[in-house]
Amino acid sequence: MEQLALVQGDDAEAWAADAVLTIVGRPQRRVEGAAKVTGRARYTHDIRLPGTLHARILRSPHPRARVRHVDASRALALAGVRGVLHRFNTPKTAFRGEETIFREEVRFVGDEVAAVAADTEAIAEAALSLIVVDYEVLPHVVDLEEAIDAASPRIDEKGNVLDADRYERGDVRKEFAAADVVVEGTYRTSTQLHNSLETHGAVAVWDGDQLTVYESTQHVFGVREGLRNALHLPLANIRVLCDHMGGGFGSKGGIGKYTIVAALFAREIGAPVRCVLDRHEENVAAGNRSATLQRVRAAGKDGRITAIAHESWSNVGQARWVADPTGPTKGLYDVPNVLAHAHRVLTNTGSLAAFRAPGYVEGTFALESAIDELADGMGVDPLALRRRHAGSQVDPVSKMRYSLKRLVDCYDIGAEEIGWSRRARGGLRGSAPGLRRGLGMASQLWSGGGTPPAYATVHLNPDGTAVVRIGTQDIGTGTRTVIAQVCAEELGIDVRGVRVEIGDTDAPYAPISAGSLTVASITPAVRLAAKDAREQLLDVASGVLEVGRAELRVEGGAVVSRGARTPIAKVFEDLENYTVIGKGSRMPNPDDIVLKTFGAHFAEVEVDPATGMVVVERVVAVHDVGRIVDPLTARSQVEGGVIQALGFALSEERVVDKPTGRVLTSGLETYKVPTVRDVPRIVVRFVDVPDTVANNVGAKGLGEPPIIPAAAAVANAVANGLGVRIRHLPLTPRRVLDALAAAS
Amino acid sequence: MKPFTYVRATSVAEASRMVVAGSAPLAGGTDLLGLMKGGIASPARLVDLGGIDGLNGWSRERGAGLRIGALTPLVDLETSDQLARHLPIVREALRDTATLQLRNAGTVGGNLLQRNRCWYFRDAAIQCWLKGGTQCFAKEGENEHHAIIGTARGCNRVAPSDLAPALIAHDARVTLTSTRGTRSVLLADLFTDPALHSREEHTLRRGEILTEVQVPESGLQRRGTYLKAMERKTWSFALVSVAVAARIRGGKLRDPRIVLGGVAPVPWRVEAAEAEIDGHPFSDDLARRAADLLLADAAPLAKNGYKVPLAKELVRRALARIAAA
Ligand SMILES: Cc1cc2nc3c(=O)[nH]c(=O)nc-3n(C[C@H](O)[C@H](O)[C@H](O)COP(=O)(O)OP(=O)(O)OC[C@H]3O[C@@H](n4cnc5c(N)ncnc54)[C@H](O)[C@@H]3O)c2cc1C
Repeated sequence: MEQLALVQGDDAEAWAADAVLTIVGRPQRRVEGAAKVTGRARYTHDIRLPGTLHARILRSPHPRARVRHVDASRALALAGVRGVLHRFNTPKTAFRGEETIFREEVRFVGDEVAAVAADTEAIAEAALSLIVVDYEVLPHVVDLEEAIDAASPRIDEKGNVLDADRYERGDVRKEFAAADVVVEGTYRTSTQLHNSLETHGAVAVWDGDQLTVYESTQHVFGVREGLRNALHLPLANIRVLCDHMGGGFGSKGGIGKYTIVAALFAREIGAPVRCVLDRHEENVAAGNRSATLQRVRAAGKDGRITAIAHESWSNVGQARWVADPTGPTKGLYDVPNVLAHAHRVLTNTGSLAAFRAPGYVEGTFALESAIDELADGMGVDPLALRRRHAGSQVDPVSKMRYSLKRLVDCYDIGAEEIGWSRRARGGLRGSAPGLRRGLGMASQLWSGGGTPPAYATVHLNPDGTAVVRIGTQDIGTGTRTVIAQVCAEELGIDVRGVRVEIGDTDAPYAPISAGSLTVASITPAVRLAAKDAREQLLDVASGVLEVGRAELRVEGGAVVSRGARTPIAKVFEDLENYTVIGKGSRMPNPDDIVLKTFGAHFAEVEVDPATGMVVVERVVAVHDVGRIVDPLTARSQVEGGVIQALGFALSEERVVDKPTGRVLTSGLETYKVPTVRDVPRIVVRFVDVPDTVANNVGAKGLGEPPIIPAAAAVANAVANGLGVRIRHLPLTPRRVLDALAAAS
Repeated sequence: MKPFTYVRATSVAEASRMVVAGSAPLAGGTDLLGLMKGGIASPARLVDLGGIDGLNGWSRERGAGLRIGALTPLVDLETSDQLARHLPIVREALRDTATLQLRNAGTVGGNLLQRNRCWYFRDAAIQCWLKGGTQCFAKEGENEHHAIIGTARGCNRVAPSDLAPALIAHDARVTLTSTRGTRSVLLADLFTDPALHSREEHTLRRGEILTEVQVPESGLQRRGTYLKAMERKTWSFALVSVAVAARIRGGKLRDPRIVLGGVAPVPWRVEAAEAEIDGHPFSDDLARRAADLLLADAAPLAKNGYKVPLAKELVRRALARIAAA
């Protein structure tokens, strides 16, 4: 794909692998850590502007219905109610390809029907039940496999099953015919809910024709764009802010209907309006990871994988896109013959939203299970089989070279750490009579190379401290800290002297914090801005100190020349408020080179075949993501990914009642995310070789990699320990016991 | 949540007088407030029992058994080493009950009187049989957590409390006081016999306050243990739980009790199963026979058949454990 980029200035030479860095690459305490643990950090939920009104949303009780009439008169008569919006009185406001936020046909239980603004949340809530809606109930289907079934109601003119993507290389059919061993399996994964601790929400306030929106988002600029489309405002009239943020995992990539509701009410009523979802709404209407049905066939011959065919069906709800699960099948292994075919299946359930490595988590489970099944069939060690297809330095899809690929190193480190040589076919004895122990592993492939555009400025204050401004946001991953480190490193000052100003569309543009884009997109721009500032500082210092520019450098907050140290503050002493302003922009990625991240997870589990209980004892996670800017935040990123994957593997599952279309697991008691007691020992390792081709920092992203292979590794470990493969996640005691009963 | 008023009772008699139609006693509120927020319960008035003297704490008098005040926080029982010497099963059951925060706030009486967790029952939009509707939605629906036994007609909920089976295994009784007087009933009888098809879960009458749990001397002489299968390691109701207790004499199990949680609308006991092992030394085979009898009438629904082998295995393990101790 042609990439058009506006380039400003020149790039810096990438920090070499042996460059001596004093701040980058060292563990750094979170710069916002104290604010968070003392409760001072302000989240969108905390924004209470004087005179704020509260909006609540009326949601469809039917999985599919036509809204024929809305009578809001009783709600409007309730004291404290300030307004009601619904499909018959709301101006057209474009939202994700639709013309309005209140559709004529509501398509899942929880779909937006109307909204109320009132003096308090309780009044707004009470008013919802006073709105009378006349629904024409329509036939529905909520279950993936029922939706595929031709006998089920068609819920869209184009049908329920839509072709998403088809890919082929080589000749799969021929290789299956010629193979020594062919395995085939049907794999199922369940709908996973994001459950961000901070639910989706926005606070909107107008000052004349200036709109300010506080939103819990992964992309302040995306929210701004969404507001521009919905409200037809000049960009200069919109400001979006997100200071601290309680998680998004992909689901907070742009505006929500709640944002538009808040903005419309705020304009109409002339007061700030807060619209945040509760936990139940969060779990029915704020997105999810699609449940999937996947069929994988894999063929082996002469000790190698010769062909893989992967067909998938994803329950996307009403979404217009699909998180294709076949990505890893196409790109992870160097296999000559591949057929991949993804389908999008519509149902009357809440739509998918991007969820940390969308498609890849689901697909890796199916692919890596099938690879293990093939290895078993061929009688080879599953890691040994993967090694034969993991070394290639060429991307099998584009046929272009990778900038850097150290997947085999990940295997070596992980195998050593977990003690892979202990692995035995059929598993090992457990820690008590009757228990079984298993080892399993899986690999990951993801992008993570980052992208332009992204811009930063660095203001160097006269006292030698600095302010970095960049329109990114810290979604809880440590972005602020990493920015401060790169800036301090390049500028030659202390990390504590750097203030990071982010989460504001009045700052220079930065991309969405998603898809492992952030570090590789923004830190090269920050570095260039800091470099620009440092060079300007040296120009000034050269004049002030009357020393040749070439003899000066900045180190530890001082300008250093031939043994003499002049603190930056001293340099500026007589210059009053002279301010150095450095600018930097993200340079384009290299041409004809593929930037990817790789990794492997190894899991050791103990399974109790008599109770179906699976205990993950240890996960070893090894990643190849270029330079590690901050080992501390990197480790916590990996731990978080592993834990979220363990939920997907063992306990998390959205359950929907088929006749009523209601989500039965919309609370945190029934929807089971792992608790701290469920978390095993997680050993985190990095190859930590900078990718000097990728960008001037040498870093790639680490947001998605750690969630991708963990469930597959656990499933492979369970299959190894039990001697029975369970092809349906999560592996609850029920699924384990049912599978064992079926197998015996 | 519907608006309500709040009053604080200072004595049991006063509380009983205040708990008229439309009022509900409030202990820790960990279940009741959830029900109110979810629109399942909407009392017009809450009568807080927290200010009543004498309902908090436990005591043991030689020959008179053990008494536990109904307002005692669960955490106090769980963390008392002294209580663990008299009745270790309580600590075992409470360790896996809910979460520490909930055990701090939740009380003994509230735990025994909590409502079930069926996800259809807990969804205000679903008018299920127990809430006065005509059908059980779980029966043909999403029933992996539901009852496998004792459902007869009507309702496929399961008894949620961890404490109840543990205390029943030691023959606990409860004292119920109202303006009409005081009665003492077996804890097992606090739970409505499912065969009666009552749309109540408990046999508590309006205005009755649960003041105390007593474990008789004979109950304290049993050795007991509690096992619970969960979908994660904490903060999870039982898929299946089992409390067993027996006197162990000369290696033989005497006067045994086996009580299951998570499998039936009430804590589940079958006398024939207990009779099968009474007077015998433990063996895997004996335990299996008892478990078979206990679950002889099991009629699993489409998605909960796994509970049968799971319950049987837990029974076997629990019996093995008390026999070996
Ligand atoms: C997320 C979650 C997980 C949980 N997990 C478990 C679990 O794993 N195992 C388990 O056993 N329990 C579990 N529970 C239930 C918890 O143990 C109970 O909510 C708690 O014990 C109730 O005690 P309380 O004092 O808060 O009762 P309340 O909520 O105050 O009262 C509960 C009910 O009992 C009535 N009541 C209370 N005391 C009296 C009295 N003395 N006399 C008459 N009526 C009374 C109230 O009117 C109300 O109807 C869980 C609860 C939650 C919310």
